Amino acid sequence: MTPPSMLDIRNLNVALLNGRPILRDVSLTVAPGEVRALVGESGAGKSMIGKAVLGILPRGLKVTSGEILLEGQPLHDLRPAARRRRVAEVAALIPQDPLTALNPVRRIGAQIVDPLIKIHGWARPAAQARALDLLHRVHIRAPERVMQSYPHELSGGMRQRVLIASAFAASPRLIVADEPTTALDVTVQKQILRLIRELQQETGTAVLFVTHDMGVVAKISQQVSVLFQGKVMEDAPTQAVFDAPDHAYTRALIAATPSYADPERPFSPVPQSLIAEMSAALAMEVRR
Amino acid sequence: MNAQLNSRSLPDPSSTAPAPLVSIRGLRLSFPDQANKPLFGAAPRIEVLKGIDLDLPAGQITGIVGESGSGKSTLGRVMVRLLAPDTGTVLFDGQDIAQLDEAALRPLRRDLQMIFQDPMSSLNPRHRVWQIIAAPLRRFGLGGTRVEAVAALDKVGLGADFAERFPHELSGGQRQRVGIARAIALEPRFILADEIVSGLDVSSQAQVLTLLKTLAREMNLTLAFISHDLSVIRHLCDRVVVLYHGEILEQGPVAEVFAAPQSEITRTLLAAIPLPELDAHWFDD
Repeated sequence: MTPPSMLDIRNLNVALLNGRPILRDVSLTVAPGEVRALVGESGAGKSMIGKAVLGILPRGLKVTSGEILLEGQPLHDLRPAARRRRVAEVAALIPQDPLTALNPVRRIGAQIVDPLIKIHGWARPAAQARALDLLHRVHIRAPERVMQSYPHELSGGMRQRVLIASAFAASPRLIVADEPTTALDVTVQKQILRLIRELQQETGTAVLFVTHDMGVVAKISQQVSVLFQGKVMEDAPTQAVFDAPDHAYTRALIAATPSYADPERPFSPVPQSLIAEMSAALAMEVRR
Repeated sequence: MNAQLNSRSLPDPSSTAPAPLVSIRGLRLSFPDQANKPLFGAAPRIEVLKGIDLDLPAGQITGIVGESGSGKSTLGRVMVRLLAPDTGTVLFDGQDIAQLDEAALRPLRRDLQMIFQDPMSSLNPRHRVWQIIAAPLRRFGLGGTRVEAVAALDKVGLGADFAERFPHELSGGQRQRVGIARAIALEPRFILADEIVSGLDVSSQAQVLTLLKTLAREMNLTLAFISHDLSVIRHLCDRVVVLYHGEILEQGPVAEVFAAPQSEITRTLLAAIPLPELDAHWFDD
């Protein structure tokens, strides 16, 4: 028998309270040590998958059916408090916007140390040593000083490193990275991607990596789920997706990504006709 | 090699490029460093732009690229005179606007337009789309009716039904198109676009870039396009300027600079772009 996936999502449906579907029958797995990219346009529901796993769906959204299994254990069997504890023990989030994710009136050190003490039961000295060590690991030059700093005193790239350090601090077995580099410029983005990859390969953490950038998908992931209006259009190894994309939508997303290396390559938005055709097909499914 | 580098780093008057609409020489700009201000006396100054010589050829799109903190937005803001330089000249159509006061600038404002990075914070959330587009038209005494706003919307591919909407009812790409409509409605001669696609997903980004390229050609616009993404610049721009720590490292036609980048920084910027193709060695360096 193969060991259970780190994360196993089966036929997950999420909808607005009025019944409008946000995720449609989403199934995917992430093996330990694997990076799965969730890619799609704004509004495709890619962030919502991560939020459903972590149990932090925005108000007004409900899981209507389906199962989420963490290390083989179904989460829906747990009471809310037990579920929260279980998720906090196993998983961590790297959010998109490092400024809103950090508390502006608390020092960086406290924000990394507190969850280790309160959720994971570490002793304060151990937690502080761990925080310092991780700030080192994410290539922050003066970690002692940064521990004493407030978020506004750091640059965007530094803040994102702090959040990566914080996410990896408790050695999670699953990380949800929700567009962690979208707000950064390309050189910082590359540093951050490298960092996530280094820590992930070293610790064997599974990663669910949300992005809209097919370039980032190509570099960071081994598996890809391509989403459109809450439905998985293509689920394949990254290699296969770039060698021979199966779905017209995947091809369109790749064609919409500019490439300096190949300026003659047709570079065009996803065609409206394709979007209309796919929307119509989804609407038919709902009616049935 | 050296001769080539020199011809690349200085604007070349003998080239076949059209006459410059904006011509910048010896531009220096510094800000007071409040973090290191002594208790008494003036704060020391941080030099952000350290002697910029740059021509923006009329009717062309010039890309300005550099890392965060390289001074690209500051340079852009001098071009549209939201900032005044310490020294140096900024010729706009032959007139030095570097030190003009606000009253003297007013007649030029219509010609110096800007499209902002974040359309959510640069569009008034309590105004309808048509009012947002009409306001500057009215301000410059160029009309400002709903009909004119709808005509501008049409140019950016948004139908008349968008006129009555509020910014929060639009997607990011649609909002950015409203920002473009507001700028082009004035029929300006120069537009500064500062990181206008960095918040958009790839498909919206492709839409906005395709639109901007078409409009620039149709309206014979002179555009400065600030971005940290060289792939975007390669597809959109005629020329590119690479900034680093407030200095120009190289400039030239995009095809030339991309074919043979002269500076290490340009090569680093190129190598940092994740191209949509597999590359097992991308992280090694």
